[in-house]
Amino acid sequence: MAETAATPALGIDRLSRPPESQLRLAWRSFRRNRLAVAGGVVLLLLYVVALFAPVLAPYDYRAFNPGQPLKPPSAQHWMGTDRQTRDVFSRVLVGSRVSLAVGFAAVSLIMLIGITLGAVAGYLGGVVDNVIMRLTDIMLAIPLLFLLIAAAALFTPGIRTTVIVIGFTSWMTTARLVRGEFLRLKALDYVLAARALGASTPRIMARHLLPNALPAIIVQATLWLSYAILLESSLSFLGLGVQPPTPSWGNMLADGRVDMRIGWWVAVFPGMAIFVTVLAFNLVGDGLRDAFDPWRRER
Amino acid sequence: MTPASRAYIVRRIVLLPFLLVGLSIVVFALIHLAPGDPALAFISEQAMDPELVEQVRRNLGLDKPLPVQYAVWASHVIRLDFGTAYTFNRTPVIDLIRERLGVTVQLQGLALLVALALAIPIGVISAQRRYSLFDHTTTVGVLLGLALPNFWIALLLQLLFAVKLGWLPAFGSGADAHGLQKVAHYVMPVTVLATTVLPIFVRFMRSSMLDVISQEYVRTARAKGLPERAVIYGHALRNALIPMVTVVGNQLAGLLSGSVIVEYIFGWPGLGSLAYESILRRDYPVILALTLLAGSFILIVNVLVDIVYALIDPRISFD
Repeated sequence: MAETAATPALGIDRLSRPPESQLRLAWRSFRRNRLAVAGGVVLLLLYVVALFAPVLAPYDYRAFNPGQPLKPPSAQHWMGTDRQTRDVFSRVLVGSRVSLAVGFAAVSLIMLIGITLGAVAGYLGGVVDNVIMRLTDIMLAIPLLFLLIAAAALFTPGIRTTVIVIGFTSWMTTARLVRGEFLRLKALDYVLAARALGASTPRIMARHLLPNALPAIIVQATLWLSYAILLESSLSFLGLGVQPPTPSWGNMLADGRVDMRIGWWVAVFPGMAIFVTVLAFNLVGDGLRDAFDPWRRER
Repeated sequence: MTPASRAYIVRRIVLLPFLLVGLSIVVFALIHLAPGDPALAFISEQAMDPELVEQVRRNLGLDKPLPVQYAVWASHVIRLDFGTAYTFNRTPVIDLIRERLGVTVQLQGLALLVALALAIPIGVISAQRRYSLFDHTTTVGVLLGLALPNFWIALLLQLLFAVKLGWLPAFGSGADAHGLQKVAHYVMPVTVLATTVLPIFVRFMRSSMLDVISQEYVRTARAKGLPERAVIYGHALRNALIPMVTVVGNQLAGLLSGSVIVEYIFGWPGLGSLAYESILRRDYPVILALTLLAGSFILIVNVLVDIVYALIDPRISFD
């Protein structure tokens, strides 16, 4: 009531359009990007499939079909069967749960570590910044897969180890990005104003800097979701990630590699699932980046 | 060279030893992350004999405080003494690495050359004919390429060219092969490694070229009537290539990661497969040496890249 009464008093506001929030502008730009929207639709479908995988799967992913090892794709088994006579299609569906969940958990950990270190380095500066950033340089210099397999081998392999290992070896680019954003933002006048008003350092970081760094962080997180899924499948393919009998796309590929001469389908379909998922995340990530950053839209 | 860029180069060089020490601390910390008795964590069940456990304890100096342990370990490492491997017939680690270095350097070098030889012309033509069919095809190709898992391409290539068509050998580095047969062994591993960096190079080359083409000196070159070829290759390309130095430097670590997968799938006896084998055997001296050497290599290359970059492009300012 009070708001509707106040508006006519200003008069001029009725003529000009109300200012749109950054989020709305970004959403409008994202919606116009057909590739990004297509990627988003694919992702939505993937999550629905992952959620209802046990219901959607025509067979139990653990069930054996006696006498049918390595049968090629058919009306009965859309993606054929593997050496142990299990239905590959059902396993790919259930595998989506593992791959998406591991990806999501790993990226949460990457963001937690990366944002914390980046924010502290960017805002505090000085020695702290130097130490954190040199650690970042060092970690980035070690080829990721060397670091990943070395770390994975230290612990009992499994889903939890995979998440932790990816999280602790992949936070560096996020830390750099967040540091850059915080460095840029903390020099702006509104932060000075907040400090002059007596806001504490944690409050300035959480309430004034972080929200403005969010667009860059969201883009980074989306792109890392695709990398994390690739890393998980690489680790599982090498036998150091998610362990059978839990199906993940990576360990299914490792299974299929052994039987490639007899049955190509066991390796080809899980790989295709990884490819489509990673592609979809990349398209959405690129779309978000362009949407949040008008300067890049031209490219 | 401006004083600013000279100061920058000096700073980078002075910082390098500190980064190397930091790297060794990170790698050392990795050992001590293992839960339980570290001595036992580093020995595979097959190799569990008391003498070996003693050797591990001696190597790691596990009875001493951590800083002392680090100092002892570092004093050996600085002389490239990484001890002897627990498996691999107890070969000294540095000899193992020396044996296998050549294979990896060959594959990496070839992959880099192939990727650059393709990426530069593709990027230039894409930028030159922006929004053409060629450019759109390139953009789509880059998107698809970035999403391709390297182990999947490797398996698909093996399936098609080795299993179905029988044109290329599926396995091995062809140590005994000669001539064309030897070349055939290189085709698939190099292709897979190259495709991991190709999309990144193409995307960067295209945008770098687009940046340069819109500069005024390019317009001036056109305005004074230079033929288009001279404008593109004489003026634009040279400057567009400069930032590529950094991109190539940044991708080296990624290429080395790729060697783990590629050497494993194609059965090449290089450093990547050595890393993987030593992990499976829990042969920690080997994996630590590899991680440390690979990291040092990348740190040193990055400094060199920065120096080259500062030398060839005087416009860059450092602060």
